[in-house]
Formats: sequence, C-alpha cells, structure tokens
Amino acid sequence: MSIPASTPAATGSGDLGAPLYIAWQVTNECNLACLHCIEESGPGKAFPDELDDDEVFAVLEQVMDLEVPYLSFSGGEPMVHRRFFDMAEFVCRRNGQLKVETNGHYLGPENCARLKDIGVKAVQVSLDGATRETFNRMRVRGNFDTAVQGVKNLRAAGVPIEINYSPTSFNAHEIGAAVDLAAELGAYSFYTGRTMYTGNAVKTWHRMAPSEDQYGPFFETLHRKTEEYRDRMRVHFHEMGLLEELRYRLHHPAALLIVLPNGLVKLINALPFVCGDLRRQTLAEIWGRFQRAWQDPRVARFVDELATDPRKTATLHQWIYL
Amino acid sequence: MKLAKYVKFREEKFGGVLFETRSEKVFTLNPTATAVVREIQAGSDEREIPSRLKARYRDDGDAIEREAQAFIAELRQKGLVED
Repeated sequence: MSIPASTPAATGSGDLGAPLYIAWQVTNECNLACLHCIEESGPGKAFPDELDDDEVFAVLEQVMDLEVPYLSFSGGEPMVHRRFFDMAEFVCRRNGQLKVETNGHYLGPENCARLKDIGVKAVQVSLDGATRETFNRMRVRGNFDTAVQGVKNLRAAGVPIEINYSPTSFNAHEIGAAVDLAAELGAYSFYTGRTMYTGNAVKTWHRMAPSEDQYGPFFETLHRKTEEYRDRMRVHFHEMGLLEELRYRLHHPAALLIVLPNGLVKLINALPFVCGDLRRQTLAEIWGRFQRAWQDPRVARFVDELATDPRKTATLHQWIYL
Repeated sequence: MKLAKYVKFREEKFGGVLFETRSEKVFTLNPTATAVVREIQAGSDEREIPSRLKARYRDDGDAIEREAQAFIAELRQKGLVED
C-alpha cells in the first residue's frame, strides 16, 4: 500500500470534513513597522473590532472540537496579544499542534521556557537579512541582535525553530548567508518566496522590491542550499509567481482558513475575498461556505484581472464579502 | 507502537488523514489504513493488528492482512510511528 503525501496547501479541501490548517492573525498590533508587512501592522494598528477574550476562546473551542490538527498564531505580532500565552496553552493542552510566527523581539529566556513548557510545535522567527544593516533597514523599529538572541534563547530552551525570510532589493544577495545563519542557529526549517505587492509594500515598493535579475540568483542559491542542507534543515521556497499560484488554487483550494483579528475568514491571504465571520457563523458553517466561495465567479474574475494588472494586489485589504 | 510526536490523525468520510506537522506533509488514508491507525491509537499490539482487521472484516483471503502489514511497514519507514 502506498499512502500519498502532499502538504496542507496542496491538499484539496473538497473531501475533508474540516480544515487541516488554520492560520490565525490574532492581532494587527505590532511593535515593529516593517517595510514589506502585508498586513500593514504596526504600533497602534490593532483593529478596533478585534475579537474579545470570550470570542477568542469560543473560536479556539470550535477549532479543537473540529479536530483541526494544525494552527498558527501570527499577527501583527502575536506575542503582544494580552492573552497570547493562555491561547497557546489552551491549544496545546487539547493536543493541537501550534506554530507561533513572531518577529523574535519577545523571546527572552523566560518566555522561551514558557513556550517550551506549553509544548508549542515550533516558533517561526522572521530574519530578513543575514546582517544587522539589512535586517534593521527592513524591520523598522526592529533590532537584528534582539531577534538573533531570541532565536538563541529558543534553542537553549529546546523549542523547535523555523526561520522566515522576505527578499528585498537590498537583502536578496544575502540569502545564502541567511540560510547558513538559520542552520547555525539550530533551525530545522527555512521558508522564503517572493515578496508580495500589498500592505506596506505598496508604499515602499520602489525602494525595496527585488528585480527579476535579483530573483534569478536568489532562487539558484536556494536550490543549492536545499541540497547542501538536505537531512539537516529543510529549505522551503515558493518560486512560483502569485498569478500561477492563484490560478492553481482556483481549482485546488487549500485546506487552510485564514482568520483575521476581527474574526473574518479569508479564502487565501493573496485575495481580498471573505467567506465568513466567526461572530456570525460557526467554524463548521464557514468551512462549507469556503468550499462554495471558491466557485464564485468574482474570484476567478479577480485572478484573471491580475494577469493584466498585477498591482490589483494593492487592494487586498478592501475586503469583498462573498 | 504509537503515532510519532508530530503526527496528527483525523477520521474523514473517505477514511482518514495523517498530518505530519513538522514536515507539513499530509497523508490521505483509505478505510483499511484508517482502521490500522485506529488500532494503533487504541494501543493494539503491532503484530496483532493485521489479524484483528482480517477477523473484523471477515476477509477469507489474506488481502486485508497483507495490506495492513504493508501499511504498518510504510508508517515505520516514513517515521509516522514510534515505539
């Protein structure tokens, strides 16, 4: 017997009774104001209508009852959420597998020990640069040394580490060194891909977007590093452009829901379409709506229009309710 | 034998899914494979699982038994179970 393997993103949602993965942006508040942030997060940028504590835990209860096996908390910066540790504990106590996606600025030894005790599956830290200069330029208000120390603290506490890297015109050349740094810091996975034209990147595109001439050697290096680190650290990267990805998704929606801080549920991060509201519908109802929403002609039309106007992604935060 | 630390199992109408959350790989399971995983979760002895399934499904031949044995071997080979 052979058991076919795929990934949550490649697993068709059609036959499944519930999502396999929920990516929850728990708050839009962030201590940093990164040049490329697709969520336009930053200090004072929490949505005015974010889910309150009771609503948050009611949603988590549903996630666990539906046996969603994998959940991530991101933001904004998830660790600034006032109930972050309670939420993480709730998920892990119910045997959910939780990944925390953070900028690494709240990873002091005490917090890392707590994450270890709670039993999170992994902490993914954004390290967009192999040097202080590039990292600090990209992560406005951020500090390379703090983030690196945070990763070292995770390692010391025994928390599994993943590293995420967003390429720009001024850091793309460092990709090889960044992969090496991730391995040296003890990461077991490294993620990167193409930086999206949306959120803060719309305003900063002229000074940070990598050119296709830069993407060539960037991906060549990643192919080489994938081989170099085989069996030691997984190097994941999406070479595919956004349009190709979305055309594929139209026919193969991923078994993944994106939950926004106010409980709205998006089809996919790279589209503006909302298929549910956790304040009004149950997660199970939204899963049914999600399947149908992908068939809405407005979704295919938006993707078609992206072919002639790639800058339409600038409007991803103007949500369209299906 | 038990499911490995980072492996999650969920039953589905078609059988089930195993999700290895570290590599983020999803494995879709047919009803026989799903029955094997249920037995593993229940703590059944690995050596007894094929014969238990054979009896449960009243299989006069040895198709289910062989399928279950092959599946258990594959679970081990892929690191989806541990002792």
